[in-house]
Amino acid sequence: MSKKPVVELNHVTKRIGKSTIIDDLNLQVFPGEVFGFLGPNGAGKTTTIRMMVGLMDITEGEILIHNHSIEENFEKAIAHVGGIIENPEMYKFLSGYDNLIHYARMVPKKISKDRIREVVKLVGLEERIKHKVGNYSLGMRQRLGLAQALLHSPSLLILDEPTNGLDPAGIREIRNYIRRIAHEENMAVFVSSHLLSEMQLMCDRIGIIQNGRLISVESVRDFVGSSSKHKMRYHVSPLDQAVELLRSTYDSVVESVGDGFIDTTVSYEEIADVTELFVEHRIRVYGISSIQSTLEEKFLEMTGGEK
Amino acid sequence: MVKMMNLIQNEHMKLYKRLGTWVMIGLILFAVLGLGAFTAFIMESNENTNWKETLQIENAQLQKQLEESPLKGAGETYVQQQVAINEYRIDEDIPPVESQSVLGFMIDATNFTGIIALFTIVVASSMVASEFSWGTIKLLLIRPVNRTKIILSKYIATILFALFSLVLLFLFSFLVGSVLFGLGGVDQPYLVYNNGSVEETNMITHIIQLFGFNSVDLLMMVTLAFMISTVFRSSSLAIGIAIFLMFTGPQITQLLSSYEWVKYVLFANTNLQQYTNGTPLVEGMTMTFSITVLLVYFVIFTTLTWVVFKKRDVAA
Ligand SMILES: Nc1ncnc2c1ncn2[C@@H]1O[C@H](COP(=O)(O)OP(=O)(O)O)[C@@H](O)[C@H]1O
Ligand SMILES: [Mg+2]
Repeated sequence: MSKKPVVELNHVTKRIGKSTIIDDLNLQVFPGEVFGFLGPNGAGKTTTIRMMVGLMDITEGEILIHNHSIEENFEKAIAHVGGIIENPEMYKFLSGYDNLIHYARMVPKKISKDRIREVVKLVGLEERIKHKVGNYSLGMRQRLGLAQALLHSPSLLILDEPTNGLDPAGIREIRNYIRRIAHEENMAVFVSSHLLSEMQLMCDRIGIIQNGRLISVESVRDFVGSSSKHKMRYHVSPLDQAVELLRSTYDSVVESVGDGFIDTTVSYEEIADVTELFVEHRIRVYGISSIQSTLEEKFLEMTGGEK
Repeated sequence: MVKMMNLIQNEHMKLYKRLGTWVMIGLILFAVLGLGAFTAFIMESNENTNWKETLQIENAQLQKQLEESPLKGAGETYVQQQVAINEYRIDEDIPPVESQSVLGFMIDATNFTGIIALFTIVVASSMVASEFSWGTIKLLLIRPVNRTKIILSKYIATILFALFSLVLLFLFSFLVGSVLFGLGGVDQPYLVYNNGSVEETNMITHIIQLFGFNSVDLLMMVTLAFMISTVFRSSSLAIGIAIFLMFTGPQITQLLSSYEWVKYVLFANTNLQQYTNGTPLVEGMTMTFSITVLLVYFVIFTTLTWVVFKKRDVAA
């Protein structure tokens, strides 16, 4: 991507006392993409987000939003950001509408009544917007949270576990909003979650964080789409001969050799090519199976026995 | 730039859309009504046609007291001034203000500034701490507004609540007083002793001055509560400490008044009437001294509030 990033984190580190909670984080999010920030509980997602919106100091490194440092130039940087940090806590004794008025008064450009109405419609709260937030369900509060974040048409939307506590229908709804907003309004969305399944459906790229370190950043399209690589396991015999053959034919197909099988990373077409190659060289093929995706594997590896 | 006005408007919305705020305002009005009823129907009228005689007796006593156990310095001047004013009343035929008159009632009602101080402490204590306990602080601080402006708008909203309540008390006590006791005696002057002679001044000005003096204590305790609320993010702690100190502080400083260092304690200085209408707590204290001490405390309280609010990592 040659576009300029909306937000970039450069060597971001957070230490509280002696413990390092975030360790040398580097990443960029571009306009129009949904970036998933995936990691188990306690990985440091919320801490990272708190630094991105200036709620917490950055111990080392910098965070730039449209090239404005969130620390040096807070007001300029944060003006581009809308967000929900953890649960969207609102003033319960105010109506949903008054809550939005409250935040609308806190931006430099004037936000019209029409804009408020538009956002309320977008999140589907028209009927209940004049009611006190204290009477809202969690789903309605999430939607009001989203409305509050979108009010000033930010170019970066930051959402911390936006589907937490929602039922499947609510999750689908939020997911659809997010995809639509990012792609239609060319907004960059940074969304955190501890659930891979949710991220896959919502995001364009996923960064995996564990113990405060970014382990990998993967593109979801490469992984899911037809042009992507597949992990295939071939049960063949004789094994040594088969490995030899693959290594001499392809540069980097063989991943590992197990007890009676070879694990490979291949493209969709190569699945057939490799099989043909074996058959041509009179190697007996007993089974071909797809094994776990790289992303899922990494995620399961790091979350360990948690799930 | 986000206008300060918008932020104050927000704080007002959050304050006045809560029932508790209106309960407090209701209680202030109720207290005035209660005092009115008490003054009009229960309290014995001290109206007497012999007020001149009463004052003469009082003066005789004061004179005797001066001769028997001479007070030093300021104490002596105070008694002498009292005597002079009483004599002036007798000579010029100006009776003392009665409780059963609109002005007398308003003077009595100035004591309710204590209740206003109490309520404003409650408001101040929840200003910052509540945003933390509600969890709304996170959404409040991720706006293109620097934290200095946010904390300032909260402080201003608190002070405006106090001002609003004080004005309400003033007007409502006038209303209740004039309904119950009529407008008789509104032109009564307030007597002050100035440069060796007694002068007549405007009574309403005097009442406003009383409000002013009482507000010094209010301002300091509210600012203290605001600071505790910000530093410890606990409204109950802020309310507890501020109210406890408001009630015990003056007594404790009184008890310790024989020590010279007591004059640097906040509570030795909050009552500025000790210079206009009484004797200073510690020999040698002056109005200028007290105002300086108060300013120093004020700067410490507000600076601490500001620095902590600006620097804090918000992890709530
Ligand atoms: N204020 C704090 N002081 C010390 N440790 C903290 C603080 N806040 C969070 N942590 C620690 O930092 C780690 C990351 O927390 P968090 O960012 O909330 O994780 P996540 O949002 O990914 O679940 C956790 O191990 C947590 O215990
Ligand atoms: Mg979290």
